[in-house]
Amino acid sequence: MKTDFQTVILNLQEFWAQKGCVILQPYDAEVGAGTFHPATTLKALGPKPWRAAYVQPSRRPADGRYGENPNRLYRHHQYQVLLKPSPDNVQDIYLESLKYIGLDPLLHDIRFVEDDWESPTLGASGLGWEVWGNGQEITQFTYFQQVGGFACDPVPAELTYGLERLVSVLQGIENVYDLDWNSPEGEAHMTYGDVAHQMEKEFSAFSFEHADAPMIFRHFEDAEAMCRHLVENKLVLPAYEYCLKASHLFNLLDARGVLSVTERANTIGRVRALARQCCELWMENSNG
Amino acid sequence: MAEWLFEIFSEEIPSRMQPEAQEQLKTLTEALLKEKELPFESIKTFITPRRLTVVVEGLPLQTLPIREEKKGPRVDASPSAIEGFLKTAGVGREDCEVKETPKGSFLFVVKNEPGRPTQEVLSQIAPSLLEKFRWPKSMRWGSLAVTWVRPIRGLLSILDGRVVPFSYAGLEASNKTRGHRFLAPEPFTVDNFQDYEKKLKDHFVILDWEERQELIQKEITRVAHNVHLTPLEDSALLDEVAGLVEWPIAYVGAVDKHFMNLPPKVITTPMRVHQRYFPLMDSKQKLAPFFGVISNSEGSDRGKTIVIGNERVLRARLADAQFFWEQDQKKPLEHFNTALKTRLFHQQLGSLFDKVERLVKLSSRIAKHVGANPKLVERAALLSKADLASQMVGEFPELQGIMGCYYAQNQGEAPEVARAIEEHYWPKVSGGEIPDALPSLILAIADRLDSLMGFFTIGITPSGSKDPYALRRAGLSLIALSLNPHFSLSMIEVLGWAYDTYPWSELTPSLLKTKEQAVSDVWQFLLERFKFALRNGQGSPYDHVDAVLGVAHENPTFSDLALRVQALDKLMDGEDGQNLLSAYKRASNILKIEEEKDKQLYEGHVKEEVLKVSEEKALFTNLSIKSPNIQDLVAKGNFVKAVQDLATLRPYVDQFFDKVVVNTEEGDLRINRLHLLAYLRKTLHQVADFSKLEG
Repeated sequence: MKTDFQTVILNLQEFWAQKGCVILQPYDAEVGAGTFHPATTLKALGPKPWRAAYVQPSRRPADGRYGENPNRLYRHHQYQVLLKPSPDNVQDIYLESLKYIGLDPLLHDIRFVEDDWESPTLGASGLGWEVWGNGQEITQFTYFQQVGGFACDPVPAELTYGLERLVSVLQGIENVYDLDWNSPEGEAHMTYGDVAHQMEKEFSAFSFEHADAPMIFRHFEDAEAMCRHLVENKLVLPAYEYCLKASHLFNLLDARGVLSVTERANTIGRVRALARQCCELWMENSNG
Repeated sequence: MAEWLFEIFSEEIPSRMQPEAQEQLKTLTEALLKEKELPFESIKTFITPRRLTVVVEGLPLQTLPIREEKKGPRVDASPSAIEGFLKTAGVGREDCEVKETPKGSFLFVVKNEPGRPTQEVLSQIAPSLLEKFRWPKSMRWGSLAVTWVRPIRGLLSILDGRVVPFSYAGLEASNKTRGHRFLAPEPFTVDNFQDYEKKLKDHFVILDWEERQELIQKEITRVAHNVHLTPLEDSALLDEVAGLVEWPIAYVGAVDKHFMNLPPKVITTPMRVHQRYFPLMDSKQKLAPFFGVISNSEGSDRGKTIVIGNERVLRARLADAQFFWEQDQKKPLEHFNTALKTRLFHQQLGSLFDKVERLVKLSSRIAKHVGANPKLVERAALLSKADLASQMVGEFPELQGIMGCYYAQNQGEAPEVARAIEEHYWPKVSGGEIPDALPSLILAIADRLDSLMGFFTIGITPSGSKDPYALRRAGLSLIALSLNPHFSLSMIEVLGWAYDTYPWSELTPSLLKTKEQAVSDVWQFLLERFKFALRNGQGSPYDHVDAVLGVAHENPTFSDLALRVQALDKLMDGEDGQNLLSAYKRASNILKIEEEKDKQLYEGHVKEEVLKVSEEKALFTNLSIKSPNIQDLVAKGNFVKAVQDLATLRPYVDQFFDKVVVNTEEGDLRINRLHLLAYLRKTLHQVADFSKLEG
């Protein structure tokens, strides 16, 4: 069975399409995790059923390592699934998806280990597990309890596969840059490093050395003001997009190490306030 | 007699919650059965990651019939009285019986409730168990309103093999359950508990938590022996893993040799805390380049893939650790202090670096008073928090202090300094090890003094369940530390020093207590903790501590107080103590009454020449010999001997009360005897305030 990076993604798309998910594209703005995509954050709220799946490239400026660390990345990829309401057999469906991409639970040791999830910037939290494959965390499995400070009713199940880790387990590879991105047979073979190494190197240099902190802080304040303006004008999706921008700009400032502990907590609080207003507006318009 | 088997089958229950949940299910089932008047012989509960089970043996098939009689007004009572009674009882006049009693004819309501089938009662008990059960954290799922620790996916409830029907969380109770998630996922039918336990085992589930735990211990030891090693003892890890698997299989994985140059705790922390692996030791108790891992199944290639996978994960973790180890040591440990300037200790109490500066001053002052080398202590204090800014502690917070110690050692700090950096966090858990070396002890004490004084002074004190800065633990640790006999300073005095170390004029807290107030508040708080600690530690009842505190001088040390309480515990455990106490009570009762009557206090001025009876003479002689001795012994801190001496008074006291009448007609004799009683009271008070003791 083929386990290169892109085949695993294609298989997951196929699998979740068969389970009734709408297959979406990544959100086209910088985000730190698949959860931030409006198809998860906003759609998790409200009474309407919703099933979606998509890849989300996720940027974590503080985790950049100039392409030198075998496991840590400025940008990794998450495969994100949201099922609302959570189906009764959601664990079984998830395990079926592992088999579908070639991870046989009779060969590997698959375990559900307690890990409650919380996003202080989104004011969101849930209960669940990290799923382990032979001691490696391969998925975050969460039953959302609240988002933006609002209780989720019905409760969605969120599955977030860490694609690099998952594929590492499947390929038995240690260094992420050695993973096969496409099929290793044939002339067009590309590794993860071929595709992504330059980005890791340059964006690490950007976020640790060249990001202009005062300029980014100005951008943060602009994004915040824009978000508020859009909330006032009841444009929930554009407003939320500017909340995401503020969140990413905060991540950049954080990676740059220019925020003191108090400023850091304060800035997180400002992003959370934006997220809350967006969610509130979403609920008012009962878009859920 | 019938057997009820009830299983709540769910998604994976967090390991740390399992032992308490098993206990709670037992207590709750017991309470509900009692409430419904269902007698039983035994209740046993079980827990695995996916099921919480109770089995009740020896139930009757029916509950006992209940006959209730309610007496009403007399038959000839006023119509309004009768009407009122009927209304409260919810019956009509025709439902009442008339009964003759010695006081006349009365109305009675008689309720006869026949016994109900046990099955019917259990149908009500089962859902109410689920409703009343409390998890530390619970959740909702799907579109349901119920909560549980994780979604419930099955309910098995059978009474002697027959389904006890009820529904909950959208599920109907049945006689079916499931086995191991991967090895035996298909549902199967269960007849009774014995059948259940056996079939579970056939389906790769060991129901009993302790059995799993023992098996894990045995298997890890066995596979370790195969490579001539033994697992490091770690009962907390064993407990946790027992709650992570239903079918434990042990394997051994290898650690790359080049990582073995890292300090042992840097290797074992990611192993234990992050991966739940068991570190393995060689015959010299040195960490070996292997680890034990418990899998939840064997793996279809006999574990080859599982072992390789786990080795790979550990390698990545250790590669991180190796990187941090090298990075952190590129600069002197002291340089990390710069980063502490932007880390808050508390918004109103300054940065972590401010705390470090206070610790230098405070621990130096203490060192000078207890005869330790102040230079070493100051150096240790200066470096004590530096590792909090290191990359290693950032990634593995459990290594705080430990990394500081390693780095200090490698950079040529004095061994006492390196040791104090690690040990100033001790005791790590309640009842944990106390540092022996003086610099470690002083720094550990200074750290707690600083936190307690700081927070109490600005009005942050633990209340109810709220104690965000873990001040209760700090208090208990401070007491445990100051019980070390090397620390001979008065607690009240050093609390004052801690207060003085804060630059209060530069800080601007919204509330600032005076030194006197703050010291007194912390002292009272510590005394409460002290009572608690002594009761938990050596089983001393609160009243013993109160009795000792009642006569302690103004600036006691906790070690002195603890010794006194211990000696008193021993005395009061025996007959001598109990007799002395009743003699004391008798003496003080008499004195209280007579002093009030005479409007004068008796203080023990006995006139030897007035003594008449041999029993009072003997008591006086003994008191005059022993009282100064006891005083002397107490002053020297020899409480055990002081209390032993006190106990030798008992026969004389007993005989005195047997033979001597205090309130005689002869005035001189009476007054002298009252003074003798006062002398006895005074002697006892040298050791403890007996009036605080409960008989």
